[in-house]
Amino acid sequence: MSRHSLRARLARAVADDRVLQAVHLATWRKVEARAASFAQLPHAEELRRRAAQIRRHTLENLPRYLEQFAARVQAAGGQVHVACGAAAACRIICDLAVRRGLKLAVKSKSMTTEEVHLNAALEAAGLRVVETDLGEFIVQIDHDRPSHIITPIIHKDRRQVGTALARALGCRYTEDPAELTRLVRQHLRDVFRRCDLGITGANFGIAETGTLCLVTNEGNGRMTVTRPRVHVALLGIEKIIPRLIDLPVFLKLLARSSTGQPMGSYTTLVTGPRRPGEHDGPDELHVVLLDNGRSRILSGPAPEVLHCVRCGACLNACPVYRNIGGHAYESVYPGPIGSVLSPLLYGPQYEELPRLSSLCGACASACPVQIDLPALLVRLRARSRERQPLGKRLLLSGWAWLMRHPRLYALSQKLLRELLPDDGAGWARQVVGPLANWTSQRDLPRPAPGSFRELWKQELSDET
Amino acid sequence: MKRDARVKGDETNLSQFSAALARNRAAQGEMTPLPAREVSALRAVPPDADLVARFTQAARAAGCHVHCSGESECVAAITALLQAAGARRALVEPQPGTALPPERAAALIDALTTAGVAACQSYDDETLFAADASVTGVRLAVAETGTLVCVSGPASARAASLVPPLHVAIVSGSQIVPDLFDAFEHLGQAGSGTAAASCISFITGPSKTADIEGVLITGVHGPGQVHIVIVPN
Repeated sequence: MSRHSLRARLARAVADDRVLQAVHLATWRKVEARAASFAQLPHAEELRRRAAQIRRHTLENLPRYLEQFAARVQAAGGQVHVACGAAAACRIICDLAVRRGLKLAVKSKSMTTEEVHLNAALEAAGLRVVETDLGEFIVQIDHDRPSHIITPIIHKDRRQVGTALARALGCRYTEDPAELTRLVRQHLRDVFRRCDLGITGANFGIAETGTLCLVTNEGNGRMTVTRPRVHVALLGIEKIIPRLIDLPVFLKLLARSSTGQPMGSYTTLVTGPRRPGEHDGPDELHVVLLDNGRSRILSGPAPEVLHCVRCGACLNACPVYRNIGGHAYESVYPGPIGSVLSPLLYGPQYEELPRLSSLCGACASACPVQIDLPALLVRLRARSRERQPLGKRLLLSGWAWLMRHPRLYALSQKLLRELLPDDGAGWARQVVGPLANWTSQRDLPRPAPGSFRELWKQELSDET
Repeated sequence: MKRDARVKGDETNLSQFSAALARNRAAQGEMTPLPAREVSALRAVPPDADLVARFTQAARAAGCHVHCSGESECVAAITALLQAAGARRALVEPQPGTALPPERAAALIDALTTAGVAACQSYDDETLFAADASVTGVRLAVAETGTLVCVSGPASARAASLVPPLHVAIVSGSQIVPDLFDAFEHLGQAGSGTAAASCISFITGPSKTADIEGVLITGVHGPGQVHIVIVPN
């Protein structure tokens, strides 16, 4: 997958205190905000069930809904393109930009455009591309990579943002978040006045009406569909929902899951380009439907991953993400959802990612559309079982065998209690043998003095 | 516009694409039905709730300033709040069928001019980017979330509630619907909403970000301040 092995990336990630502290703080804050917000939402579980059902239904009938969506977009005056892969998506968009002589593109935050590396392609085609989400803008001027799908600079502190901005804009250094935001606003206002191409993703596409739905907090999404004369929206084919009335089901869940807000600041519904008599909005609307492996995922072992609404709740909830940050995944999509999506989208170079999980289930509990992420992680692990080291495979098959033999299992537990080193405080540190690697990063709690079976037996004999 | 029927290079034709997709998905088990359109059991706010109170509470929680005003005082109230905010140029957008119809807008423009605030009604870039406030009506408001719904049209620009740093929205009590579901039911009706407009904006509080160390900052690209003036009807 990369220059560095997963092990090296993890070692580097856990050694970076500054980043981990920033990630820890931000993710916990969001976990708490999400919980508080859901506690106030009536029928939350019913809404999650309904959202999951709508997604499942749509994916089962995707060809029909794609046709309907495309027909409605065209009826509203938009144009529809289909891109089978990343390269095709980039070529379609670059082509239409170049043919119209467009020079300055503004982008609203979009995971799908990052997935296909659209910026590089547009720049190679001679356009200037400006990210307009504050976090993405900082990432862009600092030649960095986003490390969270909602909060791209979750790994940066205010000093790093201040330094990046002073260098790129030639302004004086400040580390006051309000002042930094004002500087970016000022800079991007000028860009918004001059831009001629607007590029967005879409949170949802509504088949019934041919409508694109964009959710943002900053208002850059609205600016991007208001100012330029051409609007291009790139969306994965799984973003379609059947009806307008299905949208509020998702809207009630999306921002609450992302940031704890009942609604994002701006939810924008775009149906076709500017109509006659309207004052602003683009003259042309192009919708690019992207497959890029999604149809293959649909018929594969984990189609539910396509239910994802990209809220980021599973990242915040995940103890692994919180302790390594997003860069260690080295994928556009980090965290639990990324560990499932990356190997499915990009192939075997990401096959280790599903193993970055303790299968604790926090991600599944947080998911607004009830994706059973631990189950998907296990299914993907199974696919690369043969490529695991022999020792690990033997150990795990041995364990599986042991667990099917209760008496031997009980005996092994007794042995383990005797053999594990005791540091006197209830931890087994610096274990030798096959567990050595595990304990080099974490402490292993010593087994309880008596096993559950022994206590159970004791309890029963006490009662009789 | 006709769909491009050719398959050229990488641009695939949609019907071929979806036919291939359908073939791959041929062997499916049980199909999941689409849930019924009926959503009333999922409402967060019942229709008989005190909608003005619920809306006010939710809009304030989202960071808006909410003022209640009588029919006759609202022009004076808006003028006063723009003066207090130090606004010097205000974009005023009359829109029939909202709580800022042309007559009220005319009265407001008079009052603003008297108070020394330049009122403008043009959407050219110079005016738009120089305005430090805008005053608009809305199509709907949502009590559940404190959301304003603005629909684009010949009398309503996308930029009006977006570009100036302070947005004043006039809402009449009868425009407030209980729940987000109600808003979408309304917009889904024939002749309104997505069928009739190219852009519908749901506005919930000011423009905001928490990208830098999780610190909440308002006014990134959209208005940093949103004032809502509720008039009886």
